[in-house]
Amino acid sequence: MSYRFRTGLGRTLTYILLIGLAAVMLLPFFWMLSASLKLDKDVFGFPIQWIPEVPQWSNYAKIWTRIPFLTFFANTAKLTVIITFLQLLTSSLAGYAFAKLQFKGRNFFFLAYIASIAIPWQSYMVPQFIMMRRMGLFDTHMSLILLQAFSAFGVFLMRQFFISIPNDLIEAARMDGLSEYGIYFRIMLPLSKPALATLTIFTSVFVWNDFMGPLIYLNSESLKTIQLGLRLFIQQYSANYALIMAASLVSLIPIIVLFLAFQRFFIEGIASTGIKG
Amino acid sequence: MNLPRQNTASARRRTIKDTLIAYSFILPNLLGFAIFTLVPMVFSLVLAFMNWDGANVVSWAGLGNFKQLLRDTTFRIALINTFYYVIGTVPLTMAAALGLALLLNQPLRGRNFFRTTFFFPYVASLVAVAVVWNMLFHPAVGPVNQLLMTLGIENPPRWTADVNWAMPTVILASIWKGMGYYMVIYLAALQGIPAYLYEAAEIDGANAWQKFRNVTLPMLTPATFFVSIMITIASFKVFDLILVMTGGGPGRATNVLVIHTYNTAFKEFRFGYSSAIAMVLFVIVLVITIVQFRMEKRWVSYM
Amino acid sequence: MKKYYSISLLVILMLILAACGGGDTTPTDTSSAETQQVETAVETAAEEVAVEPETANEPVTLKMTVWDIATTPYWQAVVDAYEAQNPDVKVELVEISSQEYQDKVNIMLSGGDDTDIITVKDIPGYSAMLTRGQIVPLNSYVAADGLDLSVYSGAAEELTFEGSIYALPFRSDIWILYYNKDLFDAAGVDYPTNDMTWEQFDAIAREMTSGSGADTVYGTHFHTWRSTVELGTVQDGQNTVIATDYNFMKPMYDMVVAMQNDGTIMDYGSLKAGQVHYSGVFKNEQVAMLPMGSWFIGSLITAKNEGEIDFNWGVAKYPHPTGVAAGTTAGTLTSLAINTNSQNKDAAWDFIKFYSGPEGAKVLAATGNLPAVRNTEILDVFSALEGVPPEANEALQTAAVRLELPMHPKVGAVEQILNEEHELIMTNSVSVDEGLAEMTSRITEALNQ
Repeated sequence: MSYRFRTGLGRTLTYILLIGLAAVMLLPFFWMLSASLKLDKDVFGFPIQWIPEVPQWSNYAKIWTRIPFLTFFANTAKLTVIITFLQLLTSSLAGYAFAKLQFKGRNFFFLAYIASIAIPWQSYMVPQFIMMRRMGLFDTHMSLILLQAFSAFGVFLMRQFFISIPNDLIEAARMDGLSEYGIYFRIMLPLSKPALATLTIFTSVFVWNDFMGPLIYLNSESLKTIQLGLRLFIQQYSANYALIMAASLVSLIPIIVLFLAFQRFFIEGIASTGIKG
Repeated sequence: MNLPRQNTASARRRTIKDTLIAYSFILPNLLGFAIFTLVPMVFSLVLAFMNWDGANVVSWAGLGNFKQLLRDTTFRIALINTFYYVIGTVPLTMAAALGLALLLNQPLRGRNFFRTTFFFPYVASLVAVAVVWNMLFHPAVGPVNQLLMTLGIENPPRWTADVNWAMPTVILASIWKGMGYYMVIYLAALQGIPAYLYEAAEIDGANAWQKFRNVTLPMLTPATFFVSIMITIASFKVFDLILVMTGGGPGRATNVLVIHTYNTAFKEFRFGYSSAIAMVLFVIVLVITIVQFRMEKRWVSYM
Repeated sequence: MKKYYSISLLVILMLILAACGGGDTTPTDTSSAETQQVETAVETAAEEVAVEPETANEPVTLKMTVWDIATTPYWQAVVDAYEAQNPDVKVELVEISSQEYQDKVNIMLSGGDDTDIITVKDIPGYSAMLTRGQIVPLNSYVAADGLDLSVYSGAAEELTFEGSIYALPFRSDIWILYYNKDLFDAAGVDYPTNDMTWEQFDAIAREMTSGSGADTVYGTHFHTWRSTVELGTVQDGQNTVIATDYNFMKPMYDMVVAMQNDGTIMDYGSLKAGQVHYSGVFKNEQVAMLPMGSWFIGSLITAKNEGEIDFNWGVAKYPHPTGVAAGTTAGTLTSLAINTNSQNKDAAWDFIKFYSGPEGAKVLAATGNLPAVRNTEILDVFSALEGVPPEANEALQTAAVRLELPMHPKVGAVEQILNEEHELIMTNSVSVDEGLAEMTSRITEALNQ
């Protein structure tokens, strides 16, 4: 579909509007870039100097040496990959079952999933922590993996997607004698690439930017993640915002790369999650 | 399954086997979810009827925590603020997302660039966003107020330093951060509207506005429904953004339910009371979600 | 379906009970004595954790929670000194970011963590840990070793609650007044003296304020912490910040709000929004005077050495209310406590005794920090450090030190309210009187709950 475009004035105005909006959206990023190239005491200087007089490119080198940024980067990447993979696997399996299979307790469990989205994590954070501790999982990456790989949101998303796939396809496969597993792996999974791409982006962004989880469950320096690392720049009596901005920008890069790579699937993918009807 | 059920032994066996197969699909996720999330959740809801300081023994409180909620002024303030936030954020974000999607659904040069740009804020880390936003809206030297002053406004609002403007500022930041995400959902939905509907409308002599009202909007209702549910729930649960931008202040101007939950648990060590607050939130969200689902039949049209 | 509901609920309940198994979550009579609760918690924790017999000559590893290792050289320095004297003990530092320090420690301890030594960063944290039985009373250790706690000049008393002390102070910072000598010289105004009342301070600040716009030099600076304003209210020893009526804070708040309205100090709203740090404004010579804690001395010395600043600065005693002796000031304590769940309590005690004692104090002083043990010898070590202004020795001598935030079981809730009302007063959202009235009513309510 497309609106017919009034040529000339309408088009130009639209472009101006878009560019203006894009500038507004990107303004904070420009500020971050500019701040990352300043000396710490000048970051909050006023009036705002958008282009620093003497760009401190060395800030980008400092972030790797002041704190073990590479370790944090690697840890965050490791957690993101593992958790995303596990989520994709278990959520799509469960989502398919909730969408296309009849079984006792189906509605009950699905309701439990949905209801759980409504409860803020802060309220069950402590019982969860005590449980993990008793299992001996404190200060391990495994604790975060177990906590985040099995999410209600993932199941909800995949289920919405699978519902929109016509039943005839599945019936035909069953008639052909395909087992449920066969149907899942040979038919559903390939079809669900857009939804999987979508879930990948959401999960990855979440894990990458997660702060509270690592804060509570990780103690050892060698296990910490980027978000925790950023806090190390804020000390009791001072804070180095220039380095924080530099580190934040660097940590944005993998996410942006991921998004650009999956963008194609992404926009297609959301369309198929049951919102078309 | 659409096969008719037959009352034969083989049919029953098939059903049991099917149930087992179905469970094998959901078990990996369900087991993990039940043990690591559901159990603590249920425990925390049960905690609402207890007193616990996080270290010593748990003791029964019955409805005591809830009775205290009625007397708690901070709870009242947090409740009002939460609704204020939701009412401010939900419609505006949805409108902005829809507007952007409409704008970016046209054949434009650099369309992908713009789409990616508007999605960026969602991806950025909150800590950085809060710092930057506070800087931009700095009461004295932020660009926003500098601009307002050059436009002739003598005393521009002091934003997060002002009890009346703090919440609007937070709402604005939230819209900025979230609209790209919901924009993408609308974009995908717009692409799903069959072209022939528009052609038919044009043949009937419809103008742009009529096309929008009679084709676009109705076809978007499933997407609108999905978005409205997700964003409503997320808005009731808002925490991180407010924590880093204002800490709940100035005073209690931006204190919302989840922040109050957090404070009572981690600053005052009243975990039972904190759970009671969380339970009230849970019930509110549940009721609203159920109402939304009930109303779905009335206004959402699936093709 | 109904049958299913009940079965599932049963399963879930069983799971919960299994998860809670261990004794410390059984509902019990609330009227049981607090000591019994603590003992139950301790016993339960001890049961679950394998206890190894401690022998004097076996190598012991102690773990200690700390923050800001990179910028705080004394952590490791004192550890090194101790390990040199005690070769069979190794101390491992567990770093937690200072912003979330207490939150994280609380969560760790709630989960039964066994890190031996917990550094006590502030009083609310201290109160939280001791009222919940997470750190052990040290009285028996103190008595057994015949420790004389008066070397801490009253700090030990501040840490004592209902007769028991749960931590030994090792660092005691006091509030003093920093000033920029060059700015005073340029303005032809006499330097602040060691005996100034708040009124005199106010007058000097107004005199020193000059310029406009980006070139403004402010007479002084009040950092966004509520303590910067409220410290002045408790100096006379008549009240503490946990009170039943907050009108005693009026003179100080009136003075500061007036300064703010008259442009003598930067306004709170701008400071908060811009995350402005006091170190920045002082180093950039934007303020002539700065009331701040003694920890800033080390920071300024480093700044000078690294060429970040090049002006002359000095320190004077903290201003005081009329009628109160000069040298009365407020202080903050950093202390060390022993975790109830620690398996090496005796070894931990020996370590914290060293750290908080005269030997640890010497190491601390040599790194530019003020130890809790205060005697002339240590003060001399400190003043002799390069870069410390000559008048520091006198400025650091105190008549009486009052803890800004006293020990109290409900101190966490009280501080939350104080912070909120402080913010409202300083952003001119409410008048000083309204703010103080709110403080009074809200805190009274909180204390009575």
